[in-house]
Amino acid sequence: MSGRARVRARGIARSPSAVEMGRPQSSQWPPSVDPSNNEALSNRGFVGTSGISQQCSDSTEKGVNSSLEQVMPPFGLVASSDSIEGQRSSQSSGKASHYKDNISSDDAGCTFMERGGKIRRDLMDLGVCTREKLTHVRDCKTGSSGIPVKLVTNLFSLDLPQDWQLYQYHVTYTPNLESRRMRIALLYSHRELSNKAKAFDGVILFLSQKLEEKVTELSSETQRGETVKMTIALTRELPASSPVCVQVFSIIFRKILKKLSMYQIGRNFYKPSEPVEIPQHNLSLWPGFTISVSQFESRLLFSADVSYKILRNETVLEFMTGLCHQTGMSGFTQTCEKQLIGFIVLTRYNNKTYRIDDIDWSVKPTHTFQKRDGTEITYVDYYKQQYDITVSDLNQPMLVSLLKSKRNDNAEARMAHLIPELCFLTGLSSRVTSDFQLMKVVAEEMRLSPLGRQQRLARLADDIHRNKDARFELETWGLHFGCQMSLTGRVVPSEKILMQDHICQPASAADWSKDMRTWKILSTQSLNKWLIICSDRAENVTENFLSCLRRVGNSMGFNVDCPKIIKVQETPAAFLSAIQKHFDPAVQLVMCILPSNQQNYYDSIKKYLSSDCPVPSQCVLVRTLNKQGMMMSVATKIAMQMTCKLGGELWAVEIPLKSLMVVGIDVCKDAFNKGMAVVGFVASINPRITRWFSRCILQKTTTDVADCLKVFMIGALNKWYKHNHGLPARVIVYRDGVGDGQLKTLVEYEVPQLLSSVTEASSNVSSKLSVIVVRKKCMPRFFTEVNRTVQNPPLGTVVDSEATRPECYDFYLISQAACRGTVNPTYYNVIYDDNGLKPDHMQRLTFKLCHLYYNWPGLISIPAPCQYAHKLTFLVAQSIHKEPSLELANSLFYL
Amino acid sequence: MEQNNKECSSSVGGFQVPIKRIIQFSPPLYRQRYNFVKNLVDQHKPKKVADLGCGNALLIQTLKCHSCIELLVGVDINKDKIGSQRCGLSPFFGDYLSPRELNLSIILYHGSAVERDSRLLGFDLITCIELVEHLEPRDLADFPQVVFGYLSPAMIVISTPNSEFNPLFPAVTLRDSDHKFEWNRKQFQTWASDVANLYNYSVEFTGVGEPPAGAGNVGYCTQIGVFRKIGAKATESCIAGQHDEYVYKMVYSISYPSLQQKEVRKYALVNEVSRQVQCLRRGYVISLKILQDDASERLSDSGLITFSGPVFTELEKTNIEKSPKPFSFGNKFYVPLERLFAYPKVNRLCDNVDTMRALIADTMKLNRDGSAVKVDLHDE
Repeated sequence: MSGRARVRARGIARSPSAVEMGRPQSSQWPPSVDPSNNEALSNRGFVGTSGISQQCSDSTEKGVNSSLEQVMPPFGLVASSDSIEGQRSSQSSGKASHYKDNISSDDAGCTFMERGGKIRRDLMDLGVCTREKLTHVRDCKTGSSGIPVKLVTNLFSLDLPQDWQLYQYHVTYTPNLESRRMRIALLYSHRELSNKAKAFDGVILFLSQKLEEKVTELSSETQRGETVKMTIALTRELPASSPVCVQVFSIIFRKILKKLSMYQIGRNFYKPSEPVEIPQHNLSLWPGFTISVSQFESRLLFSADVSYKILRNETVLEFMTGLCHQTGMSGFTQTCEKQLIGFIVLTRYNNKTYRIDDIDWSVKPTHTFQKRDGTEITYVDYYKQQYDITVSDLNQPMLVSLLKSKRNDNAEARMAHLIPELCFLTGLSSRVTSDFQLMKVVAEEMRLSPLGRQQRLARLADDIHRNKDARFELETWGLHFGCQMSLTGRVVPSEKILMQDHICQPASAADWSKDMRTWKILSTQSLNKWLIICSDRAENVTENFLSCLRRVGNSMGFNVDCPKIIKVQETPAAFLSAIQKHFDPAVQLVMCILPSNQQNYYDSIKKYLSSDCPVPSQCVLVRTLNKQGMMMSVATKIAMQMTCKLGGELWAVEIPLKSLMVVGIDVCKDAFNKGMAVVGFVASINPRITRWFSRCILQKTTTDVADCLKVFMIGALNKWYKHNHGLPARVIVYRDGVGDGQLKTLVEYEVPQLLSSVTEASSNVSSKLSVIVVRKKCMPRFFTEVNRTVQNPPLGTVVDSEATRPECYDFYLISQAACRGTVNPTYYNVIYDDNGLKPDHMQRLTFKLCHLYYNWPGLISIPAPCQYAHKLTFLVAQSIHKEPSLELANSLFYL
Repeated sequence: MEQNNKECSSSVGGFQVPIKRIIQFSPPLYRQRYNFVKNLVDQHKPKKVADLGCGNALLIQTLKCHSCIELLVGVDINKDKIGSQRCGLSPFFGDYLSPRELNLSIILYHGSAVERDSRLLGFDLITCIELVEHLEPRDLADFPQVVFGYLSPAMIVISTPNSEFNPLFPAVTLRDSDHKFEWNRKQFQTWASDVANLYNYSVEFTGVGEPPAGAGNVGYCTQIGVFRKIGAKATESCIAGQHDEYVYKMVYSISYPSLQQKEVRKYALVNEVSRQVQCLRRGYVISLKILQDDASERLSDSGLITFSGPVFTELEKTNIEKSPKPFSFGNKFYVPLERLFAYPKVNRLCDNVDTMRALIADTMKLNRDGSAVKVDLHDE
């Protein structure tokens, strides 16, 4: 069976963690619109949005972008509002090792986790206690400045009796029973246990009430009259704070949500009976929740957030037909495989999800397969007999999915053939995400105002309280599901923006572009020698734009001389050869006026000008320049980007710490080669934090753990030394792009790299280091109550109690505005801290750094160095696919 | 149906019990019984089906995919058991994405097969799979009167163990500890024929679970009687005269989305129409391109792979070709509703062009006189 071999080979090549295969998967990404994300005016909506499907793990905001939205407020600013469920599956997030021994009973060969799947990756991070090593925050990690604000959360208290314990038992059967179903049925039906709250996987039994004896012998009779002896032996007694309990609580809540007639897909629960239909785009959105139970600062909390599952009312066959019409038969099979492989499908006749691993073009529905009992049957007959389904297209190929046995990780993967006509696609393909209209509709539907979100949460809580079965389940476990938790946060003081000869207090910290118009930027280089490449058709537009650019440049203090304008044909090759022909080392910048947002224009130009022939470049779409009445704001935005690319500084904020270097690190996957990770490293090289040193590397790896930090860090320290004649007293590193379950590796592997580079850099007093993990995706949400309704909290809201974790030095910060939708707080976890800054100072410094992203005159959701690192890795991962030249390292060439 | 001699698991009532037995049925005997009912459903297309003694409702789960069924009812006296497998009865994801043509409700009642409940009147098929042998003599005596006399469905299926088969099992007197008796073929057939005569039914005997070769003439392991009401289906008319008697306690009820529900049909239609429109639009855009580009470049190189897309019958093809063609005007692309109506998948969802227009009007853009769907010719 060569097809099979092929599948296997591919499967392995594609996924380094073979254990993952066949497991129904889905991952999240927010459909957010981030102003700062795309090169402002090149309007690469296509590139930007297709990124959604390719990058899941750290879900940096890629969004629905149009040139208009990129230039103008109030774009989006929805900063990660709602999570869309269901995306091309990826092995991206956290390469968890599956630690099986976490919860094992002594003699059982089989553990609870092994049977139930794997320990959840996010739970793995819970065991990483970094706070205990940080003496200055051991007792108190809360700040003090700012105005207190009362916040409502999406967290619900879960109360347990004081002395509550979970009892773990090991169950053996004599004679031994193989069937897990049978084991469970026999145990559950026993009188002794029937009224007790229990969770049982066939081997390990959890009870909330202790049995009288340490070892209990029970016997049950099968329906055949055979007697089976069950020995139930106590193995452990666990306090409520144990991670095992958290896992058991999750199981309980999963049961409860099922009782509320929700369906589990992946890890979340959805209500298909209340769909939001978008029939004109063949989409169905199922509302639902993502839930979790975990130990927060002082107590156990249940958290829930609204989530949507995107389903397409389109069978795979219909999708293929559409594709066939579009591309024609030439290259159809390849296109089809490229588009479909990796997607999760739902089958019509059961509630299962499968990942498409291959397409077998040689098998047809009229072919036969062997049923489990050994008889041969055609697919057509099988579906007719089994499900009363008539397969209409007898010529369709078969989708192949590798199934993984749940019980035994070593078993060879089995294959399932699925009929395209009977499979529905979930998630959005790149073709769909590039459809701006569609994405707008989807985002519109999924975006929930704080009030809307709050209402959904209240309804969920209400449903749990009212449902008899749910209540019964909770009661038998001794759990009390409480009400929505409120806590007090603080709004830290707003920041002043320092311009040349002026300090301005912006009217809105979310957007100070208006203030920018009247004041000069901090420093620029004048642009004397530069090229503009455009097509013949764009000549007039270009001239108009140029005069506009010079005007706005002038008021900013950015002197723009006349460029050399080169007119070329409308092909990527023509643009590229024009650049090659007219380039000379004195050219400071190349601007390309692109006729379309076809990716190959942008990619080929960026690739050439970032590494082969390093010079800052600026791509702009003709369409953007044609926008009526927008020319001034477009030109302003471009002028600012060009200034940065030439090494200029736009604005600053007051940084009380002298001699502080801040660093941002981000990691993402290469778009073409999933085996490659792109690591971006951006460090400030002046005390004012306005100039940056940016490095990027492609590393062959299966993890998102950066490997080359030492080289980068030493490079950055050298740069700092050159500019400041000394080493920075403090270095604070913000690390983004961390997958679930990687915290431990980060602490053990990345922190030492950074630490050794700062110590080695100096013979006497070395710089003090802090490392902070930044997460844009976190469970808690915060709302403020205003006039009987709820709203997003004000900018600069810090939460450092109750919703935090006891074992971490952590806090939440809301630094971005969300005009529509609900704001997502950013979670900061200080995993290493030599600097010993007061928590208050750490929080405020972080807030200050969120003001410094030069692609957006306003606050953003993460510290600027992280956003720069992200922008850099994104450019490399999507377009360049190799390391940019070192010559560009001193400018923000990737904006 | 084959047997193997080895240690194996066999099932009773869907409950897997591994026991050393000489005979194994493949598929398992309970499956064979369910398949028997399934085949009957396929043949006779009943609309309303009830299963008395449904246990964990596995038979109902098996039957729910049949498109002809509109009401499925399960009754059992064991309350714990009825509830145990409920999640298998709720609609699948697919039932939401591709709704059934006809309504379907599934209801489970807690109650006894020998109690009268008027909600079970007027059924097309009532099954009593491995039920009668669990009845106490008094209940067994009442049973015909309730099921045949009162409920009086068009068809009844009764299955019960055949005791003649039992000697083939090692040391088994009764197959289940709850069995009150097990009949041989003669006993069952006599009982069944008497009942059939009394209530004006015809009966045919058959079974599932063939004995192994050389076992002699012991008959099927499970014997089955299929009863059919003689004369017209007069059930509907007599319901009206009956008093409502609600004895059973409803423990579960679910109704499936179906095209009979207006909103569901509307979404299904808009879905189908927009898919068809997009498909035609893409085809149109490509045909324009080909005219410009010179078609020679687009020759197929596929060779081995055949992928045809939707298959139409000759009649459907002519219907489509006869209908008015899509056209473009300016940057807009128009597909006449007549054209859309000619496509079988659209046609299935609406009776005529007017109902189609009414259903899609508030979600899709139409041209001024409402005769065609209007979309942008090019993306963006």
